[in-house]
Amino acid sequence: MKKTLLGYMPDESFIYHVHPSVKVLFLLVVSLFPMFISAVEWNAALILFLIFLLVVSRVSLRIIKIYIPVAISMGTIILLSYTVLGGRHPEFSIVGSPLGVPIYWERIRDALVVYFRILPMILTMVFFLSTTREREIVAAFRAARIPFVVTYMIAMSMRAAGMVLEDFRIVRQAEQARGFDTKGKSLPYKIRKYVAYMIPLFALSLRRAEEFTNALVARGYSFRSNVKRPDYILSRYRFRWWDALACLVIMAGFAALLAARYGYGKFTLEDSIFLDWLGGRLLSGAAA
Amino acid sequence: MNHHAVEIIDYTWKYLHGTGEAVSGLNLTVEAGECIGLIGSNGSGKTTLVNSIDGLIPGQYHGIKTGEVRVFGTEVEEYKRGELQREVGLVFSDPEAQFTAMTVEDELVFGMENLGLSLKEIQVRLDWACELADLGSMLEKPPYEISGGQKQRVALAAVLAMQPKLLILDEPTAMLDPISRARVFDVLARLRKERDITMILIEHTLEHIIPLVDRMVLLGEGKVLHQAPTREFFDDLTLLREQGVLPPSVVGFSGWLRESGRVDGPSALSIEEAADQARQARGGE
Repeated sequence: MKKTLLGYMPDESFIYHVHPSVKVLFLLVVSLFPMFISAVEWNAALILFLIFLLVVSRVSLRIIKIYIPVAISMGTIILLSYTVLGGRHPEFSIVGSPLGVPIYWERIRDALVVYFRILPMILTMVFFLSTTREREIVAAFRAARIPFVVTYMIAMSMRAAGMVLEDFRIVRQAEQARGFDTKGKSLPYKIRKYVAYMIPLFALSLRRAEEFTNALVARGYSFRSNVKRPDYILSRYRFRWWDALACLVIMAGFAALLAARYGYGKFTLEDSIFLDWLGGRLLSGAAA
Repeated sequence: MNHHAVEIIDYTWKYLHGTGEAVSGLNLTVEAGECIGLIGSNGSGKTTLVNSIDGLIPGQYHGIKTGEVRVFGTEVEEYKRGELQREVGLVFSDPEAQFTAMTVEDELVFGMENLGLSLKEIQVRLDWACELADLGSMLEKPPYEISGGQKQRVALAAVLAMQPKLLILDEPTAMLDPISRARVFDVLARLRKERDITMILIEHTLEHIIPLVDRMVLLGEGKVLHQAPTREFFDDLTLLREQGVLPPSVVGFSGWLRESGRVDGPSALSIEEAADQARQARGGE
């Protein structure tokens, strides 16, 4: 098993043979797909495709399970804010008025469109984080000729996040060992007392920053160095023909999507079979 | 011209907001190829001294400096940025704090990349450092997810891969359990045997550094209080105890035998030598 940004993946996964640049391109481009798709069923198809990719990459689908309650809560909030809290629109078609609040078909439709845009975007990110290691992000940036200083700062920020969390755990345990515990207390009390965690954490972060700077200097690193770095990390990844093909497919897919959307009017609300069917059902039910 | 590896002349350093001088009129010379053990109580100036040799002082800290700190014949402040680190490698006590990369492999390579080595040379040195520190099986792991002993071996190997002429270790095993500590010292012993490297080793566990070092230096209040070849160093146990240095049991036992007049000669530094002295003492009785 190898550790990725979001979990662990078996050594046998094909995804290790994919160049990091392809993964980053996939994230950047495929996460844009839903923005150009209004037809709900096409975004649902994209979700299924992403789940298929997770399965063939041998990512444990338990990762998705974690997001199911989040997805349900998010869906509920979107639906409520579009319908119950969506305001009054006499020009829209009413499908029902529970407790005197008019619920419009157009608002339900818009909520569905938004929700089914967000889900594949999140799933694309989950796929990326589940199949990518921190090191691969650095490799992808370096392959894209992004300056080392920028790449390195991003990489160290990712690392620092983990360190701050670990330090926070240590500080909290130390405070608890001395009898300080906010468990069972009210939220305002917890917020007020959070300062007790933040001060040592801040001091610890400053010390870590000093130690880290010393380590960088001791290893001969200098922001203003003229030494040409050999980019060893890139020698660990080879851009093969299937990587080029994957990039081509991703970009061609995006181009085809744009052409279909703006050239032929596909993937629009009017083009959606599912929304047609649902609207028909809801409005005929309301009329009856 | 044959220079000393390190030559410190009347060196004084005071941190900007410090209450007193961290190092005060210190004089010390380390010959090329020599390995010295630097000991002293907390606050005696050990870390300030090694940071001064590696250029972290005055580069990274504000303060007042007088005197000279010469490394391979050149004052540290005269080295160009990054040049001194080609000559001097520094291993810190907290392995986690010195990690600069996200896999063990990248960690080992980082310093070499900073030196601008070719990929071929990097690979050769990487293989050597991995073999020396026994890290071959963990190259793809994140350095912060391995055990404390492994972390310190990674930190050590990362510095060794840069092949510095002078290696400084600032309490490299302070955070390790006895087994991990022994493994780090095994690596250092192998290094001493295989490479003609100059070493300055700060360590509190004296039983580990005694077999390794040629000379011991005792620091106190920012000054060199006592220095001598390792065996001679432990002849005057009273001075060491006065300075808060607790000699290893073997040395203490040997000292007791000598002080009580049961044996003559120099201090024993190993169990075998102490056993010989004990037999000698029993024969005398």
